[in-house]
Amino acid sequence: MTMNHHRSLANRCNALKSTGPRSASGKRASSQNSRKHGLNSAPDFESSLEYQTLVELIAEEGFSAFVCADIAAGLLNYRRVMDAYYDTYSSPEPVDEFLRDANVKASNPIFSELLSPSGSEPQDVREMASFFASMQRQERRKGGPASRRSADTHKLIRYQRNGIARLSRAIRQG
Amino acid sequence: MLYTIHFSIDVDVAMPVEDKSKSLLPFLSSPKLLPNESKAEFQSSLQSLLSELDNPSPLAAALVSQLNECLWWIRRHTADKELLLYEAMARLLSKGGIYTETYDNRKVSEALERYLDGSADKDEAAWIEDILAKSKLTLSDLRVRAFKDAARHIKMVDDLIHRQHQTMRHLQRSIDSIDYKSRLIKRMDLELAALGSKQSAKGVLSLDDEPS
Repeated sequence: MTMNHHRSLANRCNALKSTGPRSASGKRASSQNSRKHGLNSAPDFESSLEYQTLVELIAEEGFSAFVCADIAAGLLNYRRVMDAYYDTYSSPEPVDEFLRDANVKASNPIFSELLSPSGSEPQDVREMASFFASMQRQERRKGGPASRRSADTHKLIRYQRNGIARLSRAIRQG
Repeated sequence: MLYTIHFSIDVDVAMPVEDKSKSLLPFLSSPKLLPNESKAEFQSSLQSLLSELDNPSPLAAALVSQLNECLWWIRRHTADKELLLYEAMARLLSKGGIYTETYDNRKVSEALERYLDGSADKDEAAWIEDILAKSKLTLSDLRVRAFKDAARHIKMVDDLIHRQHQTMRHLQRSIDSIDYKSRLIKRMDLELAALGSKQSAKGVLSLDDEPS
């Protein structure tokens, strides 16, 4: 059995010891780990104060109760989308400048030292260097801050389209 | 359309602009601005849009506020297009194959921005010219290559700007619909009042005709 297999086996055994979060609050927190913008979850506007205020104000403009509820929900939904749009735009994924600018070829001695201080298999070093290079390619492909925020906000276009269409439909049907 | 005339501020309005802004709901109109943006400028753009409406209802004011935000987003995305070009130019310069030194992308990008803007100091301008000379590229060559390099992201930004235009169209139609509805209600009220007064006048006449 090679060193590499030993290591991966050891890694798998250690991973089994990790049981993830144990407390209720830990589980609640980790359940949100992959949450990006929350726009796919069904919102509950009806119980909010803003919704009640809006419904009352819109009712004064001569819309029926059903249409008022529709417009208020549409408006709050549109706001929710635009707030997520702003948050996504203003906090893009940070650029890992170290990874982007690192010289992979020059890092080979470091890799071999990291893998095994007493000297490691050249195959292991090559694998690590190629893994590092692929991460670097990925990082470079994402571009700078402007490219990242454009790509991130671009994913929210369909939510904005649906949000404004819903609001506009609600207003015009009234 | 409303968004094409919002820059004309000198418009006769029945209601003072300050009163119109009071009809806005704070949770719909409070702007979320970036650190380098001016709140006063945002508010002035909103006020000029509101001044186009006669006596706007809270709903119309809320929609105008969303419309103003769209204009703001178009501004941001347009500025981003230029930033994307600077980023790509810096990237091209930093990876310029024949040179062993690696330039800091962000530093080059910011220096290029200032250089093209004409606000770069002497040293910075000399540095940029030196990098260009080493890369054997003219500024226009670099720009063309950068445009090609950043085309994918520029297309994305164009999509974002287009989306804002579409959203503004929706908002404009909604505002028109509210305006039309309120005018229709007013007209019907007037017609009803006219009918009522006609009816009462007829009633008086018929009472007068009755033999005593």
